[in-house]
Amino acid sequence: MTATTFDPYARVVAPGRFLFALNPLAKIAAPLPAIVLLVFARDLATPLAFLALAYAVLLAGARMTGRLVLVLLIAIPAAALLVGLGMSLWADAARVDTSVTILQIGGWTLYGGAVATGMATGVRLAAIVALALIAGISTNGPDLVRSLVQQLRVPYRIGYTALAAFRFVPRFGYELDVIRQAHRVRGAHGGRGPFAAIARWWGYIVPLLAGAIRHAERVALAMDARAFGAHPDRTERHLVPWRARDTVFVLVFWAVSAAILWYFFPWAVPAAS
Amino acid sequence: MTSAASGAAAPRPVPLLQVRDLGIRHDGSATATPASATFSVARGEVVLLLGPSGAGKSTLALALNGLIPHAVPATIDGTVLVDGLDTRTTPVATLSTHVGMVFQDPDAQLVTGTLLDEVAFGPENLRMPVDEVLARSEDALRRVGLWDRRHENPDRLSGGGRQRLAIACALAMGSPLLVLDEPTANLDPQGIDEVYAALGDLVAAGDRAIVLVEHNLDAATAITDRVVVLDHDGHTVADGTVDDVLRGRADELHAMGVWLPVATIAALRLRAAGWSLDPLPLDPAELRAGLEAAEAPASAVRNSVSTPFSGPQDPISADSAASRLNTEHTAAATEPLIRVRGLRTRRGRTEVLHGVDLDVAAGEFVAIVGANGAGKTTLLQSIAGVVRVPRGQVRVDGVDVARIDLRSLSRRIGFVFQNPEHQFIAHTVFDELAHGLRLQKLPADEVRERTLEVLRRFGLEDKADVHPFLLSGGQKRRLSVGTALVAGAPVLALDEPTFGQDRARADELMHLLRGLSEAGTTILVVTHDMQLVTEYAHRTIVVGDGTILADAPTSEIFADEALLQAAGLRQPPLRRAFAGLTRHPSLAGVTRLADLPHSAARVADVHTEGAS
Repeated sequence: MTATTFDPYARVVAPGRFLFALNPLAKIAAPLPAIVLLVFARDLATPLAFLALAYAVLLAGARMTGRLVLVLLIAIPAAALLVGLGMSLWADAARVDTSVTILQIGGWTLYGGAVATGMATGVRLAAIVALALIAGISTNGPDLVRSLVQQLRVPYRIGYTALAAFRFVPRFGYELDVIRQAHRVRGAHGGRGPFAAIARWWGYIVPLLAGAIRHAERVALAMDARAFGAHPDRTERHLVPWRARDTVFVLVFWAVSAAILWYFFPWAVPAAS
Repeated sequence: MTSAASGAAAPRPVPLLQVRDLGIRHDGSATATPASATFSVARGEVVLLLGPSGAGKSTLALALNGLIPHAVPATIDGTVLVDGLDTRTTPVATLSTHVGMVFQDPDAQLVTGTLLDEVAFGPENLRMPVDEVLARSEDALRRVGLWDRRHENPDRLSGGGRQRLAIACALAMGSPLLVLDEPTANLDPQGIDEVYAALGDLVAAGDRAIVLVEHNLDAATAITDRVVVLDHDGHTVADGTVDDVLRGRADELHAMGVWLPVATIAALRLRAAGWSLDPLPLDPAELRAGLEAAEAPASAVRNSVSTPFSGPQDPISADSAASRLNTEHTAAATEPLIRVRGLRTRRGRTEVLHGVDLDVAAGEFVAIVGANGAGKTTLLQSIAGVVRVPRGQVRVDGVDVARIDLRSLSRRIGFVFQNPEHQFIAHTVFDELAHGLRLQKLPADEVRERTLEVLRRFGLEDKADVHPFLLSGGQKRRLSVGTALVAGAPVLALDEPTFGQDRARADELMHLLRGLSEAGTTILVVTHDMQLVTEYAHRTIVVGDGTILADAPTSEIFADEALLQAAGLRQPPLRRAFAGLTRHPSLAGVTRLADLPHSAARVADVHTEGAS
């Protein structure tokens, strides 16, 4: 029995769901060019195409949980619509296409051009979020750290310390709750308004930091006592290999991204007009 | 095992750990604590390290695997040799395969996301092959009984479970010596039992030597081979078997401030009263057996006829207060200071308390006990207005806590959190105390006067300008009690005030509380420590599943075996020793040290010296 097949911590892979079988870095590298380019795109078609691409990958490769379905079908479209509408109202009427009038209230006019610009922004953000979800919903923290250490040669002392620091978050959340309770009981709330709020939060920082530093020191001692950082590398019990399919996934994704860009070329239209 | 003894000429095998004239001075500190500790540990031996608070036991523990001086800067005199390696020159990573460490706070030892990853963390750092890592992890987890839960997140374990995990992590390093620094100080009674069950198995296997720094001797002595005692400065003053040191020199240790098992303290008192208890018992079972075998002294016949609740002359007795209160209680029964009716407190969407009714009269000292998650802290917080409660359910000093602003509430009830640091809001001790008075919009002169008075009362006069975070642990605790009472609240509510503290500090606090109680302050305290409850509380409320299971004078609660079982509580040690004594039925009702027959002033001396 080899160790790799025995390792009971090896994550159970969702059968047929290819995203879970990919290296976390592949899932980040593949959509990254598209995400960066989307920041600069201004049209509606390109982000829509990338949104469709991201949805296709997620539907094919992710495990459909109730939460994911809610996010994909309701949260993202609703957020896109909301941001789109908000942006439509914000858009500078002097700089948009004013040929179509959608709404007129007194002297204020909502032009079709403004709606198009606003919606483009909304869909753009939705596409970026959906692309980020590809890695986000199918990767766990330890695997990401492992692949960073194994493939990108990030020093393991940094990677695993960061992982240990994740454990601090819920603890500090709890501690903050207790401190807020305690300060409230002492009557330290000091009134309403933003300045009182800042003063109040400032008061939480000292006890929180004192606790955090003490906790961090103790964790550091416990890690030292277990030989952390003793050698230039450490045993990787759980390998996160870069396989051929990771390369294929990244290259195909890049190719599709390039094709979408070439077809819709988002910067051609404003350049021509 | 016999192979070691093959060389007849060899005098004694080289000890696994040799500590010689060890003095440790932290950078920035003037004196060395420990000053000069000397002892050794052989393979497979279990050594209990004792000493009064401040003797440097935890510092010493950190020096055993080289964390001092490698990770914590300090000046070291003398030597620590582990397997012949000098800890001053050997890196911690090398020493980690010789010395495994378990610290006090189980949360501060977790690094990864599952039990298995956690245990594998050490061997992985040692670059062991994967098969070896897994074999060691499995073995270690099995030894502490956690193998079946290996895929779970450590957060889901109880405190005792997490501490067992920490032991497994130390075992996986493969070191022949384990050092445990107060491993049960942050645990509830059930967690303590779990950890000692795991340690008991470990000791039975006999393959690891253990150095144990522990205050909770009730559990520790059963697995101990040898006891090393440091005095207040950290000189080794005793080194020998449990019989020689704990039984033979108990009086001396007690006077030095070393915390002894409650059963032993009780036995010392009985001895002073003329009982012959030999050998000196170290746990309730031994005390019980000793009493069954012993003849009652002639003088004790007269004394022990008196029922447990009749000793007002005893200096540590709360009886006088209790009896005084009982009369007051009946007189003032019409208007209790705290009145809770049909209390239903929610946390988020779940209802934690399901209709609690409760009255507390002025001047009572009430303990609230119960298993983990029973709702005792929620009950206390509901009464003190820390969590929101529906209107009309809690009245303190005649007002509804749900309708009152915090400024007015702080005049009626003060709340002390488990960690005093959490409630400090000012930059000096003076302002910390003055804050509560300034909130009352009192004139500056009066604020100053009353603040100074509280400073004096809590022994903090010379600390007025110090930042609260720079106080010592005991001073912080006193300050937090002071801030809770400064606005003149007649009620003080404390949530687990002794949790995670050493015995001396816990004792100091409880003495302070009893002083306040005798001066008329009503005290409500949530705690796990049943002996503290029996020693100090007039009345005990047992909470279970969000309701009150029982509410009666403390002695009645602890006489009810079935109730304690149902509530998931432990009997206090003295109750375990004395309940149902067949030979001396007059002692069967004893639950507190104060209940014991007292013959002379000598007895009182023994106790007060130890507690100071």
